[in-house]
Amino acid sequence: MKFEIQLTGAKGKRKHVVELKRTGDVSAVFLDRQALDADAVQIAPNVVSVMLGGQSFEFHISRSTDGTMKLRCGAHEYIADIIDPRAWRGRKHGAVEVEGRQEILAPMPGKVVRVLAKVGDSVEAGQGLLVVEAMKMQNEIRSPKSGKVERLLVKEGQNVNAGEVLAWVE
Amino acid sequence: MFKKILIANRGEIAVRILRACRELGIQTVSVYSEVDRTSLHVRLADEAYLIGPAASRESYLRIDKLMDVAKKSGCDALHPGYGFLAENAALPRACVDAGITFIGPSAEAMEAMGSKTAGKQLARRAEVPTVPGTSDPIENPEEAQALAQNMGYPVLLKAIAGGGGKGMRVVPNDAAFASAWRDAASEALNAFGDQRVFVEKYLIGPRHIEIQILADAHGRCVSLGERECSVQRRHQKVVEEAPSPVVTPELRRKMGDAAVRLGRAGGYVNAGTVEFLVDANLNFYFLEVNTRLQVEHPVTEQVTGLDLVKLQIAIAADHRLPFAWETITPRGHAMEVRLYAEDPDNNFFPSPGKIISRHAPTGPGIRLDEGVYEGWTVPMDYDPLLSKLIAWGNSREETIARLRRALDEYTIMGIRTNVGLFRRILAEPEFLRGEIHTKWLDEVLARPRPPVEPPRPGTEEAALIATALWHSAQSNNSPPGSADSQATPARWKMEGRRQQMDHMP
Repeated sequence: MKFEIQLTGAKGKRKHVVELKRTGDVSAVFLDRQALDADAVQIAPNVVSVMLGGQSFEFHISRSTDGTMKLRCGAHEYIADIIDPRAWRGRKHGAVEVEGRQEILAPMPGKVVRVLAKVGDSVEAGQGLLVVEAMKMQNEIRSPKSGKVERLLVKEGQNVNAGEVLAWVE
Repeated sequence: MFKKILIANRGEIAVRILRACRELGIQTVSVYSEVDRTSLHVRLADEAYLIGPAASRESYLRIDKLMDVAKKSGCDALHPGYGFLAENAALPRACVDAGITFIGPSAEAMEAMGSKTAGKQLARRAEVPTVPGTSDPIENPEEAQALAQNMGYPVLLKAIAGGGGKGMRVVPNDAAFASAWRDAASEALNAFGDQRVFVEKYLIGPRHIEIQILADAHGRCVSLGERECSVQRRHQKVVEEAPSPVVTPELRRKMGDAAVRLGRAGGYVNAGTVEFLVDANLNFYFLEVNTRLQVEHPVTEQVTGLDLVKLQIAIAADHRLPFAWETITPRGHAMEVRLYAEDPDNNFFPSPGKIISRHAPTGPGIRLDEGVYEGWTVPMDYDPLLSKLIAWGNSREETIARLRRALDEYTIMGIRTNVGLFRRILAEPEFLRGEIHTKWLDEVLARPRPPVEPPRPGTEEAALIATALWHSAQSNNSPPGSADSQATPARWKMEGRRQQMDHMP
């Protein structure tokens, strides 16, 4: 199986092709078409151990709400995105994002304690739209752009999950 | 001794108390809100009762419901933990009315010592030093200057009507006094229409050092030594240690004596903490009393070898303290870090959610007090404290090395934690030298972040391989950990071993 992976780490963003090959009982790892002296074992549902040229690494892996994977190895963290040409997902990360309609997502699960804007209000970039409370802390959710509040999908007192759409700003 | 104890709390402290009860052979009763049904303190308890919805004021803060549970389940004592109702005098009163022993001080002692103003009055009576100064205004500048000379520079001039730093002046020496007084008074007049000013001793970079006391009902009150809690983020302690890097045996005795005097003056019984500010010349000034078990009690336990929760229970059961003050001196060094579900990279935003995977550190000199487990969803309704990681060793250096090692082992996925903050603190040269004060961490966090140590060569390549394997295991739809998903890596392993053999010289 061949995977094109975009890896974001301390050194920035890079694309690589990883191939896991199996011929009968023998398997091999190729990175950007080069054979590696490597071995990987899934230790637990979210833990993978990698042996690379005798060096031992362990990664804790989880999937984020946007579909990318988060890997942690001691103090270091990576974001991995599998680039699948057939998938519609994953096309949305671009630089030109503050144009057009913006979906305002809840950054964490919590409770909407105050709604600061009404549908039809004109808002500035950075202006507070609503306040979400989690763990005794109130956090203001701000508009990413100046524009008009097109929809408000939550009410005061409502519980929301991380990644839930709270409002649209057009 | 008690037969059954109600634990009126949740989270790590409820688990901590449960464990002490179990070691003493006492039955435990937990209470829980609707979102805490699967919490560890409920799973570990002998009995557990639902007391209401998620909001604390409808569950954990409801004294009536706690009393109902205590009576219904036949408890003979109640432990409040810390937070929630632990410093609310209405709880010990309700316990007395219900004929249940409250594991803590009496309502009267709580009121006499708990509030800042009452505590300060008591401290003056017990001849425990408070920050010198007067809250009465001084009309005459000469009189004020004489007072300043008396308490020693630097001093702080503060407007009576003050607020927001207006009408406030730090006076570094006697020569600067007259002009600073004029400035402060005129600024106060302009800002508040009231030019009256009072004088207080100004503490430069004070440390927060507190004394743990234990008092039984038979007149014995002892000090268990100090805890240094100067590393704070916005007045919230994040790292605590014992002993303090600056406290000498003589200072420890003096502070301990002062704390014991205060405890006696307030008629205090059970475990309590007397907090002090300590200036650069090692003068100490009373701050306040916490009339309960502290979050950071484990560091005292590690250097004294005592179990404070068991001692609290024994004192409440009218036992005598089995030791004299002279026998208690700190051994080795202990340090605690508070792991919170919050994201230090994103302005310490809270990060509740499901813990997908978790690896807890173990090994020499490591203790983990916590109320979390893999697969548990951290509720958004309560304090974000997840775990307290405590290390101890023969020296401060060994303790810090152990703590660093344990932090590297500790992994939680699914939620963000402040582990990275401690990696940074434990690498700061000032912290390593023990040069800390209550504003130190806020200053450090305002500085540019030091570069993170780069990952080992090969980490990125290994991350790519791990991604590919994990992704293919997931998309194969085989349940994780099943025989099928194990079979694939086994072949990788064989191939890896074969290749390593090939590479042997």
